[in-house]
Amino acid sequence: MSDYSLDSVDAKLGEMLTNSSHMFDLSMSCLLGDTNLDSVKENLYSTDKLINELHRNVRRELILHSAVNSRNLDVPLLLAYMTMSKDIERIGDYCKNLFEIAETGNSFTKGDDLDYLISLRDNISGFIVSLQTCLSIDEESKVQELINSGAELGKEIDEKITSLLEDKLKVEFPVATTLFYRYLKRINLHIVNAATAIIMPVDKIDYIDE
Amino acid sequence: MVIMKKRPFTNILLATFFLYFFLVSIKLLEKGIRSLGAEYTDQLFQSVSSPFVGLLVGILATVLVQSSSVTTATIVGLVGSGFLSLTYAIPMVMGANIGTTVTNTLVSFGHARRENEFKRAFAASTMHDFFNIIAVLVLFPIELATGFLRKLAINTTDIVIATGFTSTKPNSSIKAAIEWGSESIIDLLSKISFIDNLHEQSYKLYAGLLISLAILFIFLSLKNIVSNMKSLMLNKIEFGLNRALSRGGGIFAIVIGILITFSVQSSSITTSILVPIVGSGILAIENAFPITLGANIGTTITAVLASFAVDGSEGLTIALVHVYFNLISVAVLYPYKPLRNFPIKLAMILSSATVKRRYMAIVYVLVTFVMLPILGIVLFN
Repeated sequence: MSDYSLDSVDAKLGEMLTNSSHMFDLSMSCLLGDTNLDSVKENLYSTDKLINELHRNVRRELILHSAVNSRNLDVPLLLAYMTMSKDIERIGDYCKNLFEIAETGNSFTKGDDLDYLISLRDNISGFIVSLQTCLSIDEESKVQELINSGAELGKEIDEKITSLLEDKLKVEFPVATTLFYRYLKRINLHIVNAATAIIMPVDKIDYIDE
Repeated sequence: MVIMKKRPFTNILLATFFLYFFLVSIKLLEKGIRSLGAEYTDQLFQSVSSPFVGLLVGILATVLVQSSSVTTATIVGLVGSGFLSLTYAIPMVMGANIGTTVTNTLVSFGHARRENEFKRAFAASTMHDFFNIIAVLVLFPIELATGFLRKLAINTTDIVIATGFTSTKPNSSIKAAIEWGSESIIDLLSKISFIDNLHEQSYKLYAGLLISLAILFIFLSLKNIVSNMKSLMLNKIEFGLNRALSRGGGIFAIVIGILITFSVQSSSITTSILVPIVGSGILAIENAFPITLGANIGTTITAVLASFAVDGSEGLTIALVHVYFNLISVAVLYPYKPLRNFPIKLAMILSSATVKRRYMAIVYVLVTFVMLPILGIVLFN
């Protein structure tokens, strides 16, 4: 017998990730491709609203679950779900920030590092899919693998940001590029944080370095 | 994330066993009362001097055991054994309806730390109090004047008996199995020398022991039925409430309330689940209200089940009074919007008053559910 409400919460988190992945692809296509901004804007913002509604539904279902199961409540599990849903919800917000970089006239399609940026996009896109898989399977090693890969990528992006701040990296749009890396770093971090919520004790969620 | 699996088969087995034990306990209660003898029971019976006292006894007894199912099942046993007449049993059943609401009011105290949450939670719990009190205020005088509930239940009992429904037959297999269980317990007790000596020395004390044991067994068996059924039905309860959340109130919510309470055999479980949901603000009090009314109707199944164990047809009659009282109160007070909103408004007024002085919530519970019933019993008996 499965646990109805938590299965339903898992499904909603999966749906939030699917929508986050869609938003990420849309916003990145505006920065790394020739996508018409007006054609995606409405889609992007309505998808974000959908994610927010799913987030609120997850909270409602967790309250309902805690009310029904008050005597045998797995409190750490519910706290993990709360923090995970918040992390996933934040991905959508950063995708909007990425889109706003493009909306203010910035594009990285002509830069020398386009191939690198595309590989970065593919990596993060892959992490979102991996997180979705980790939610549905009971395999700690897969989750740990995602956390490690995410942490590695996080360090790599950090180095890029440091180089930009120290003016060691020459790019066409330095402010936009710094913000771009910053937002990617946050998206990557929220994916990693959500993954930590699957396997780590509640007090250690989000703190992979300490 | 992967969740631990449950063991429904064990829950089904335990719930079935305790259901049987519950029916055996009702039978044991009936036998205990019968062994007192008619003369003594008549004396005791006269101590309840008016239906109004019966109503207050019903409230107080339910507050003490925190379960209307225990009270109504015991009343069915008392009526079935001829110890209690319908005249006094009917107000007792109505009182049990009021008394049972104290449980979810106590649950609302868990939200006392946050002002708005407590306000909503306390209103969600006390709307049940107000509805049941209003139902009694409306239907109790009419019943006293006309006896309509009694007549309706007696007529239905006659129809059920005429249909030859198996459990109403004196020699039905259900009754035979219950009889065997109760006789086995009595045989077992007689093997204990102290109890056997007591039986020979004082029939009153022996009967008192049987009655006390029976009430304890009713309490324990119902507690176990509720906990096993709750474990078994948790997913369906969540599913049902989730649907009720998405569809709002109305008849659908009443049906959800009936089904949840019917399946777990406890209105307090249903109403206590609603309190934190309303407290957290994810379910409006107006939409929780019909679920509460459904719980009132669903809980009547316990008394009907208990009536299967007793010999007298009046056991079934009082169980049906419980069913009709709750059905009619919903039918009268729910359809017309101003009447429907009245208990909610009263609950909101009370919760607004108590939210600033939270000790008033405790005063309310003590006065309504303990002091007033005791005072009434002392004054009117």
